[in-house]
Amino acid sequence: MIAKVSYHKGYAGLHRVTPMANVLLLVGFLVAVLVSPSILVKLGVFLLVIGLLVISGERVGSFLSKTRFVLLFGVVLFIAQAFSIREGTVLLSRGFVVTDCGLLAGAQMAFRFLVIFSSSILFVLVTDPDRLAHSIEQIGIPYRYSFVLVLSLRFVPFFRKEYRTVRDAQQVRGINTSIHGFGGLLRSIRYTLFPLLVSGLMRVDSIAISMKGRCFGLYAKRTIAYKEHWQRADWAVLFLFCLLLATSALARKYAWL
Amino acid sequence: MSCVNGTRITVNSLSVRYADREESALCGVSEQIDPGEVLVVSGPSGCGKSTLCKALCKFIPEMIPAHVEGEILIDGLSIRDIRSQQIATQLGLVQQDPDSQICTLNVWQEVAFGPENLCLSREEVSARVEECLSTAGISHLADRETTTLSGGEKQRVAIASILAMRPSVVLLDEPTANLDPQGAKAIFEIMDDLRKKGKYTLIVVEHRLTPLLQMHPRLLLLSGGKVVARRSSVCHKDLEALGLRADWDISLPLLPRARRATLFVDAVSFGYEGTPLFEDLSFKLWPGEILGIIGPNGSGKTTLLRLIAELEKPASGRIVRDGDPGVGFIFQQPHQQIFERTVRREFEVDGSIGRKDLHCVLEGARLAGLENAPPLSLSLGEQRRLTFAIALSRNSSLLLLDEPFIGQDAKNVSWIISQLLAARRHGTATLVVSHDIPLVASLCDRLLYLGERTFFGEKDEVLSQLREAGKRAFTPTYWEQEQA
Repeated sequence: MIAKVSYHKGYAGLHRVTPMANVLLLVGFLVAVLVSPSILVKLGVFLLVIGLLVISGERVGSFLSKTRFVLLFGVVLFIAQAFSIREGTVLLSRGFVVTDCGLLAGAQMAFRFLVIFSSSILFVLVTDPDRLAHSIEQIGIPYRYSFVLVLSLRFVPFFRKEYRTVRDAQQVRGINTSIHGFGGLLRSIRYTLFPLLVSGLMRVDSIAISMKGRCFGLYAKRTIAYKEHWQRADWAVLFLFCLLLATSALARKYAWL
Repeated sequence: MSCVNGTRITVNSLSVRYADREESALCGVSEQIDPGEVLVVSGPSGCGKSTLCKALCKFIPEMIPAHVEGEILIDGLSIRDIRSQQIATQLGLVQQDPDSQICTLNVWQEVAFGPENLCLSREEVSARVEECLSTAGISHLADRETTTLSGGEKQRVAIASILAMRPSVVLLDEPTANLDPQGAKAIFEIMDDLRKKGKYTLIVVEHRLTPLLQMHPRLLLLSGGKVVARRSSVCHKDLEALGLRADWDISLPLLPRARRATLFVDAVSFGYEGTPLFEDLSFKLWPGEILGIIGPNGSGKTTLLRLIAELEKPASGRIVRDGDPGVGFIFQQPHQQIFERTVRREFEVDGSIGRKDLHCVLEGARLAGLENAPPLSLSLGEQRRLTFAIALSRNSSLLLLDEPFIGQDAKNVSWIISQLLAARRHGTATLVVSHDIPLVASLCDRLLYLGERTFFGEKDEVLSQLREAGKRAFTPTYWEQEQA
């Protein structure tokens, strides 16, 4: 699985831009890989994501290790497509058939998947959720919705920790939660899900009390103490966004490889 | 100092019954709380202290379903038709668990959260944040991520966040329950500072009453949801007379000499993400011995128990256990160890238990008649006693107890102690992690202090080393005498 991908404070690269610029960049990446049919464009976008990771002070080794499941799944997608498509020129025939169309479709699928995941992870690593919530409020979205985002991010590490503790408790008490058959599955769900659910509900109650206890929801609007200002780095990101859109449009129009 | 523009709270015949309970949590409580006063609410576990706090802020019944009778007046105005968010402009509640009341990811943002909701100007929000961070002594933490704070720091952030709302009444519901002695000491100091400023009415729910005496509080004692005693001023003798201060004078008979240690921790080192928690830690635990583990939050006390239970692997060194491979381990949060639909079935997870034995165990744990109750419907204190009883029923040669005394009144603590002493007689070795220093110092044969430095040995020796090292908050005299 993808291990511990969460925002941490930084001062380089995309850490310096406003959260809305990061949203824009993420949209640019997604549009580029979903609209453009070109493999080269997708490869370029993937390399751009890796480059931005480096510029933002993230370690590529750590990133690859955290996303090895995603990379592996990308390879599986490539192989599955390459071996399942029979149309096109046959390149290899050894009991199984590999065609040029199969390879292209596999590469398309794998790169699309890799870019969507890697750019999303890049976004999570460099975007402060609190600032993002404020930015969303700043553009006029009601604060009740923007806080859903912050709260969900607060709950991710909590559930990760709780899950581990519950599994440890099962181990200490000698409970076998291996899944053998439907009964085993049900028992595993009951022994793991119920304690997690109880923890989650208790936490939700406390946080709700804490928020209402500080007048959350008293007025239709609230002050945004930290206002985001558009800076030079944000213009650079905007330029990159436009470049991504233009490249995608050109690749589509002229059917680049 | 008197509070000029404070808030007067009047409670008239307040009764609260939770939607899923038959008995009332509060029965006909009447009280008047005047501006500027310090009111300490105490009483045994489940007596209705937290219910009273939540009812005053109207979280009951607005968020927690309950049947409420009687009346609460704030400055003469009934709160029946007022929303909890409006009440929050006058009454601020600091909850027990520091971790579960923080809703943003950055300290500055967390303290600003309330004033932002009040639609104050940006300048006013900033001014309030700076002021309250300073009052809580955490200005240096302003830029920190809330997830990286210790329990004590989180609780101070929670207090600063409430103060930033400028309420006239601050309710603190067992704010030190989960904190180490140093963290608790800091919170008591903040409370005393607030009292001296004279701007606030303080309503404090606490079990540790001795440190509060210097604030000259008024005392409200609850039991079974009813007011059983009131004192307009309290002194040390009152606490003893009301049974609110237990002297744990436990005599530990000499243990017979054993040939093999139950547990041998041999030069163990461990850390998380490159940060060492302890290095070359070595000690032996003999059959029947009770070892108290004390130290600041985050010093590795729970981690040490996890290493011994083989839930973690040491980076170096080894841990050798004699006897049966199983351990009786109770976690800090009991609901994480509860899996079954009824109390009886919960016991049966660890092996079958006779009807008579179960009845006996439950009666001792003050859980009689709850055999068929869903364990998760019990209060946290009851759940903790249940997991303790289950751990004991395993008859392991080693018990690992992580904060078993939190949320237990003197009677329940006495029961836990009696069970531990019985286990000691049968040769069960026990490790107890606790922040209740006077109790641990009395109950344990030896002590292990984990912190920047490690101290291990006979308890008198360790306590004397702690005093010399300037860690007075980790010695019983600090909590029993100096504060008094």
